[in-house]
Amino acid sequence: MVRVVRNGRMKFSLGRSLVQRFDLLKGLVDREIKLLYNRSFLGIAWMLINPLMQLAVFAFVFGLILPNNSVDNYASFIFSGLLVWGWFQNSLTQATGAIVHNRSLIRQPGFPVAILPVVTVTTGLIHFLLSLPILIIFLLIDGVHFGASVMLLPLLMVLQFGFTVALAYVLAAINVTFRDTQHTLGVLLQMMFYLSGVFYQVNFLPEKYRTIFYLNPMVGLIEAYRHIFGKIGVEEARLAEVVLNWKLLGGIGLMTVVLLPLGYQVFKRQSERFVEEL
Amino acid sequence: MGSAVVVENLGKRFSAYASDRPRTIMQAALSGLRNLRAMDHFWALRNVSFSVESGEILGVIGHNGAGKSTLLQLMGGIGRAEEGSVRIRGSVGALLDLGAGFHDDLTGRENLMVTALISGLTRQEALAKQDEIIRFAELEAFIDNPIRTYSTGMGMRLAFSIAIHTNPDVLLVDEHLSVGDIGFQTKCLGRVRELRDRGCAIVLISQSPKQILEICDRALLLKRGRIAAYSDPETVILEYEAAMHPDQKPRLPSRKELEPMGQAVQITAVRLDPQGVIRSGDPLLVEIDYACSTVLEDPIFLFRLTHEKGAVCFEVNTRNGGVRFEQLSGSGTVKLNIGRLDLNGGKYFAHAGVHGKNWKSLLEYKDKVDTLVVEPSIIVEGLMHPPCEWSQVEGVADVETAGEKELGGAIA
Repeated sequence: MVRVVRNGRMKFSLGRSLVQRFDLLKGLVDREIKLLYNRSFLGIAWMLINPLMQLAVFAFVFGLILPNNSVDNYASFIFSGLLVWGWFQNSLTQATGAIVHNRSLIRQPGFPVAILPVVTVTTGLIHFLLSLPILIIFLLIDGVHFGASVMLLPLLMVLQFGFTVALAYVLAAINVTFRDTQHTLGVLLQMMFYLSGVFYQVNFLPEKYRTIFYLNPMVGLIEAYRHIFGKIGVEEARLAEVVLNWKLLGGIGLMTVVLLPLGYQVFKRQSERFVEEL
Repeated sequence: MGSAVVVENLGKRFSAYASDRPRTIMQAALSGLRNLRAMDHFWALRNVSFSVESGEILGVIGHNGAGKSTLLQLMGGIGRAEEGSVRIRGSVGALLDLGAGFHDDLTGRENLMVTALISGLTRQEALAKQDEIIRFAELEAFIDNPIRTYSTGMGMRLAFSIAIHTNPDVLLVDEHLSVGDIGFQTKCLGRVRELRDRGCAIVLISQSPKQILEICDRALLLKRGRIAAYSDPETVILEYEAAMHPDQKPRLPSRKELEPMGQAVQITAVRLDPQGVIRSGDPLLVEIDYACSTVLEDPIFLFRLTHEKGAVCFEVNTRNGGVRFEQLSGSGTVKLNIGRLDLNGGKYFAHAGVHGKNWKSLLEYKDKVDTLVVEPSIIVEGLMHPPCEWSQVEGVADVETAGEKELGGAIA
C-alpha cells in the first residue's frame, strides 16, 4: 500500500490554500499571456486580429462568392461562432501538451498538477472576454437588441469552461502515451469546425441530418450563445419567443459532470507516470 | 509530535518496455496492444526505512544510479511508490530541478514571482519576500533583465534563493549545495543550517563526503536501491569510501553478490550492564549476541557510543582491541568490559556492528540499539567527566615566569 500523508499545520488552513491556488492560477495565466505576446510588435492586439481576419475570410467567401442569404446579420453570426469555437479549439490544442511540456512543474513537490489544463482554458477565457467588446460592437451595428437572456452568458461560459477542461484532461493524459495525439487532434478539430455550425445554421439542414449534428456538443453551445446574443441565427428566434434548448445544454452539463472527475483521475495518474519515466 | 519525515519500507519499481513499444496511436493500431505491456521490472528502491526529526539534516550518499534522486522524488510526492509509505509533517520545499521552470523571455522578477507561487507561496507572501530573495541571490542590478541574459550561475543563484526562502518544514535538496562560487556556497550552507536551527527537517543528496561530514547529523548510504548504511556521518562515510576505492576493496560486488545487511550474521541482542541509568565513572559491561548463518572469516565487531546530539563519544572494535576470530560460526556472545565510563551526564545511544574481514563491508549494524542515561555527579559542560581534582600551591608559578622571559626575548 502506498500512502503519502501530509499532515497540515495551522498555516495550511483551507483558506490559505484556496488563496494560494487562486494566486498560482493567476500567476500562471499571467505568464502564459506575457509569453504569447511579449516579443511581438502588435502585442496583445493579435488576440483580436486573428478572429477578425478569419471573419473577413468567411464574409468574403460566403457573402460574395457563395452568397448565402438565409442568415441575417451574417458578420455578427460568424463572429460569435468564431469566438466560441476559437476558445474551444485553442484551449484543447494547448492543453493537450499540458503534461508533456511541463515536466519541471510536475516535478515540483506539492504542485497541483491538475491546474495546468485549467490555466490553458482560463487563458482562452480571457481572450474570449477581451474579444467580447468587439462582438458587441458588431451586434450593435447590426441593430441587435439584447434581451434579458444576456444574464445567462456567465452560465454558458461556466458550462463551456467545464466541458473544455474535462476534455483537456483526457487528451493531455492520452498524449503521454501517444505523442501524436496533438497532431491527430488538429485534424479532428478542423473537421469538427466544419460540423459545428460556425458559419451556417444547423437547423436549416434536412431533418434527418440534424439530429446527428446535435450530437456534437459544440453545436448546442454555439447556438445557445447566439440565442443569448440577441437571438440571431436561430430560426425560431425571428418568429417568436424561443426557449433555449435546455435539454441540449443539460446533456452537455451531464457529460461534463461525468467526464470531469474521470478525466481528472486519468490525468493525475498519467502525470505521475510521466515524471518517473526514465 | 512525531518525526517530520517517516519513510517506511519504501519500494519503487521501474518497468522496462520493449524497444518497439508503440509510441503513437498509428503504431498502436498497427501492432495491436500487445507491446504496451512492460517486459521487465527492476526495483530502484526497496526496503528503505528511515526517519528525519525536525531540526535534523540527513545526508544521502551513494553511487550514480543508487536511487538517491528517486528517493527524494518519492519523498516530494512525485511519482508513486509500489511499496511502503512516506509520511511528511508540514510543507515540503525542494531543490530538485533548479531553475528548470524559468522562462528565458521573462525578467528575473517575473520568473521569481511565478516560481515562488509554484513553490507554494501566496502572492502576498511572495511580494513580502521578494527583496530578501533578490538580495540573497545578489542580483539587485539584474533582476529586471530577461533571464536569457543571465549566466548559468546567476540563474541557479536565483532559483536557489527562491527555494530556501519559502520556509518549508521539510526541505529536499538534490546535489545543489554547490551552486555559484565559494562565497555563495558558504552562504547557502549557512542558510541551510539556519533553516535547520529553526526546526526544518532537511534531506540532502551530496557526492561530497566532506559536505556530509560537515553539516549532516546523520547519513544514509544507498547501494542499488537498498540501504547499505544508516548511521552517523562518520560511519557512513567510512563505508562509502571503502566502496569507492577499489584498492581497499578488491572489486565491486556484482548485483548477485551483494548481500543485504544482516544476512550473513545477525546481532540478536545487545545488553548493557548496568541497564538504563548509570552514574558517571561507573563500569559498563556490553554483551553482543550474534547468530551467523554462514562461516565468517575474521569478522570485526565494533561498539560505539554516541551522544544524543550525534557526537561520537567513543568507538572500539575487536581489531584494535587485539581480539581476532579466525572463523566464526553458529551463535554466541561477544563481551566488552569498559573499566569506567567517564561520560558527562546526558543521554547516549549504543550501536553495535559487524564488519567483514579487513573492514571489507558492513555485515550487520544495529543503530541506536540501546539507550544509556548517565547521571552526573556535578553539572559540567562537555561530553567527558573524568575524575578530576583541583589543587593550589602557594608562591610564584614557574610557567608564568617562563612565558614572560620568552616575550621579553622576542621584543628585544
